[in-house]
Amino acid sequence: MASSKDIRNRIKGVKSTRQITRAMQMVATSKMKKAQDSAKSGRPYALLLSDIIVSIADEFEEITSSHYIQKPIKHRGILVIGTDKGLCGALNGNLFRKLSDIESSAKFVAVGKRATQYLSRTRKDLLADFTLPDKPTFNDVRKIVDFLLRSYDEGRIDTIEVLFTSFINTLQQEPELVRLFPLNSLDEMNEKLHQRFGSLEHEVPKDNREILIEDRDKILSEISSLYLKQEIFQLILEAQASEHSARMVAMKTATDNAGNLIDDLTLQYNRARQAAITQEILEISAAAFSD
Amino acid sequence: MPISLEIVTPSEVIYSEQVDHVVIPTSRGKIDVLPHHVPIIDTLAAGDIKVEKDGLTNYLAVGSGFVEVYAEKVSLLTDQAIDVKNSDESEIEEAINRAEIALKKAKNDNFDQAKIDRLEAASRFAFAQKIAKSKTR
Repeated sequence: MASSKDIRNRIKGVKSTRQITRAMQMVATSKMKKAQDSAKSGRPYALLLSDIIVSIADEFEEITSSHYIQKPIKHRGILVIGTDKGLCGALNGNLFRKLSDIESSAKFVAVGKRATQYLSRTRKDLLADFTLPDKPTFNDVRKIVDFLLRSYDEGRIDTIEVLFTSFINTLQQEPELVRLFPLNSLDEMNEKLHQRFGSLEHEVPKDNREILIEDRDKILSEISSLYLKQEIFQLILEAQASEHSARMVAMKTATDNAGNLIDDLTLQYNRARQAAITQEILEISAAAFSD
Repeated sequence: MPISLEIVTPSEVIYSEQVDHVVIPTSRGKIDVLPHHVPIIDTLAAGDIKVEKDGLTNYLAVGSGFVEVYAEKVSLLTDQAIDVKNSDESEIEEAINRAEIALKKAKNDNFDQAKIDRLEAASRFAFAQKIAKSKTR
């Protein structure tokens, strides 16, 4: 049996671990709130943009821009949004499990160090990797989008898809694969978006629309890249909300476990102390009798 | 019958109200939107937006983006927008100067095109604020 001094040392160690995990939990909580807010505030923009694209696309009999047409798929292009740091439970593990189902002809772009590590370890075709600051802005996403669009236009990849962790609520996050380019099933996409985000304020149902569109070629080419940029930005925000939520939950569990461990150890310590005292009394009284 | 005007940026919905009359800058000139306007989609140019509501006129500054007019609803999709009522002139002047200096520096140092585009957009938006502000008085 461990001596009472050993137990005391262990209690001290576990207590300081608990302090650290509790601090990390607090940090994750405040980051989570901010990330959730910014993920939510970006939604109206996403909805409006998607509505406009659908309105435009409906007006055109034929769209020749390669952004809107399905090509034969030789290489899927997949953007994987992972995290930079660990200690967030099964978040990255779940994401990568989904990744392993994807056929090997696919090419990947990674965001976050964990995703880069995983992709290079499993020898996937990694085109590029990016890291993002803690609070990414619309402009930070630009370099990723430019790279993806260039690869798409040059024909190195034939789709643009995003694998990220979708934020359902604080306790629930699920890996999800979303296809963004080519924009060939717009109505379906728009419907999905509305399912996820709800609808806009003063939303107008769009039946028998006849819309005058000025400068259609310019709008068509500009809006598709804006759409890609906006969607990726939104998905990154969602992924971050998921990351911080998962980390908060993981750290809370760790803190609770440390608390339980301390309780157990304290009990053990008290027992050891009491056993030592009993032992001493026994020895003294035995010595007194034998006189 | 009023029309609803909604200005949406990536970070938030800046403006969402019922108004009587809006003037919107597009890439090919300004369009006046009154009730029963024909449905239209166009590119939005950085500039000032005139809003008339209950006999009062107000000005807002917006960056570039897209505009959709459909069924008595005007939606502006833009990267940035601001109600100039709340900002004062010296701040705007400062923003313009800052934007111009940064732009000049970027051009001299041969920064990548993406950064220059961004700075140009910032500078245009700063000017839009100035114009909107000067009309407010």
